[in-house]
Amino acid sequence: MSTSTSPAPDQMHQDELDATAYRLPGWEKYLGWAYLAAFIVAAIVLLWLPMNAKAYTVTLTLTVLLVLTLSTSWNWLSGFAGYTSFATAGFFGIGSYIGALLLYYEKVTWIPAVFLAGAGCFVIALLVGIPTLRLRGPYFAIAMLAFSELSRVIVLSWDSLTLGGNGVYLPILRLQRPGENETFWEEIQRTFHNNQNYYAMLALAAVACIWSYVVGTSRWGLKLLSIRDDEVAAESMGIRTTYVKATTFAGSAIFPGMAGAIYARHVGYIDPVTVFAIIWTIRAITTTIFGGRGTILGPIVGAVVLTLVSEKVWEQDPNLYQVIYGAIIILVVLFMPGGLTSLLQRYNILPRSRRI
Amino acid sequence: MDIVQVVISGILLGGVYALFAAGLNLIFGVMKIINLGHGELMMLGAYMTFFLFTSWNINPLLSIPITAVAMAALGWLLQFALVERVVNQPMINSLLLTFGMSTLMMGVALNLWTSNFRSVVYSPLTGSWNVFGIAFSKSRLVAFIIAMIVTGAMWTFLKQSTFGKSIRATSQHPQVAQLCGIDVRQVRFMTFALGSAMAAVAGALISIIFTISPQMGHMFIGKGFAIIVLGGLGSFIGAFLGAIVLGVSETLTAYFTDTQIAQGVAYLILLLVLVIRPSGFFGKAED
Repeated sequence: MSTSTSPAPDQMHQDELDATAYRLPGWEKYLGWAYLAAFIVAAIVLLWLPMNAKAYTVTLTLTVLLVLTLSTSWNWLSGFAGYTSFATAGFFGIGSYIGALLLYYEKVTWIPAVFLAGAGCFVIALLVGIPTLRLRGPYFAIAMLAFSELSRVIVLSWDSLTLGGNGVYLPILRLQRPGENETFWEEIQRTFHNNQNYYAMLALAAVACIWSYVVGTSRWGLKLLSIRDDEVAAESMGIRTTYVKATTFAGSAIFPGMAGAIYARHVGYIDPVTVFAIIWTIRAITTTIFGGRGTILGPIVGAVVLTLVSEKVWEQDPNLYQVIYGAIIILVVLFMPGGLTSLLQRYNILPRSRRI
Repeated sequence: MDIVQVVISGILLGGVYALFAAGLNLIFGVMKIINLGHGELMMLGAYMTFFLFTSWNINPLLSIPITAVAMAALGWLLQFALVERVVNQPMINSLLLTFGMSTLMMGVALNLWTSNFRSVVYSPLTGSWNVFGIAFSKSRLVAFIIAMIVTGAMWTFLKQSTFGKSIRATSQHPQVAQLCGIDVRQVRFMTFALGSAMAAVAGALISIIFTISPQMGHMFIGKGFAIIVLGGLGSFIGAFLGAIVLGVSETLTAYFTDTQIAQGVAYLILLLVLVIRPSGFFGKAED
């Protein structure tokens, strides 16, 4: 059993005792099926949602799905492998700009643009990840802070290509109005057309959740955990740590990249200040560690809970938002380092299993 | 002659950067903690100078000791309440904690003072002095001199005084330092207080050179890291040279291109150094 942080020396002995005494509950082996059922139910509800809901609800759900994608992908390297990355805002910004500029210059249609944004972020992440992830310790975190800011400055300064600080306006999605005597099939088609950004984000978030389950339960996930717990030992056991870290990092960069491209199309206008804002990194980090880093459920639960709660705060005061997120990070790190999931595990509400 | 002027201007700026980076470096050396909130401590120092000047009309140069003492107290409190709890934990916890501190302090500043830019307009320090045909900006020259005095005093303190020696001993090997009878915990408290005070003085000096805003800390933390990575983590002299290199490259870039591109210089240096020679160019290597 590994908890998300290494405990203080005096607790360590107790935790080892607990680990030997602990038996997984019998229902733990059905957890995979429970996830599948929950996934299908959630998918049906979310697919159906735009048919009946107000535009506000759809946009709010899109935001939840966006944050879920960002936090889940941050979790693979930073939660499982323990390498803090501050690059979320960088890849989100780069992805939005790749997607938006491809549309602006009318190179491709929007779906290939979203995929190209993901592919671009993958390549860039490999290029910056391989040299910086060779180094242990704080270097990677610092490098990613610099990477995010540098990409913002490049986008801002390269105005012949990116239009600089003026930002990019995207063509507005023409909404279809309901026709007379609309059949049910026509209504579905119209809903799908009018909410295509929502459905794209939903698909991306679904892939992120599935991928998170795969990472969490596979040998790959074990490799990541072993890097977090003792990298030298992992390396001496034959794990190619740099390769594992760099590919995980590059894979996780695809998601903020694609999410950024969809977001750009959703809001219709982007500029370097908003898409490269540190708040995207803050949101990904806060939601993940609040839910529980290094777990499958953590970032998902955190994204849903915190986004819905902060929506209430956001309406009142946008600046207060950042204060609260900062306070949550501090409180979670000091008093609840494993997040919500580990709290539930401590009281045996959730099994202490890798499937959580 | 223009180039000489630009280089001198960069060196003067580098002196203030050196003071900022020295505090960051000191904290890392003693606790092996990357203080991501260091930029916000600087921002708070700058705002304190600003408000002492605009509300109470206190000379921004004379208010520096007040700011330094107040921010040292805040640093001591932060160490007591937060940082001390993650000292011997894995690095990810201290990174996240100081990131949370940075987010919180910036958020509070945004709430209190909005994101507007402000500046300390202190008339005796506007304009420049002409020496042998080279113009020295008054504010930059004064800021440089004060930064050098504080950094030099700090260096002497670390080298000569008993407490400075215990700080250096702790950064070399905390366990052995403790065995030798040094109160390592007290050293950590004093280190964070000193580091905060240095950041605050740097902030006060920056406030008479540039405009200030709640987001300035976020900009300066990147510069701070570029400097200490250039100089080698934990190396005092290396960081000083790194700061001068950064200051000069920034002003030269601004001179040949524009100030917007110059903002990226620190981040570019940081990434390049990490790729080419992560142990730094001037200091001794540290694993």
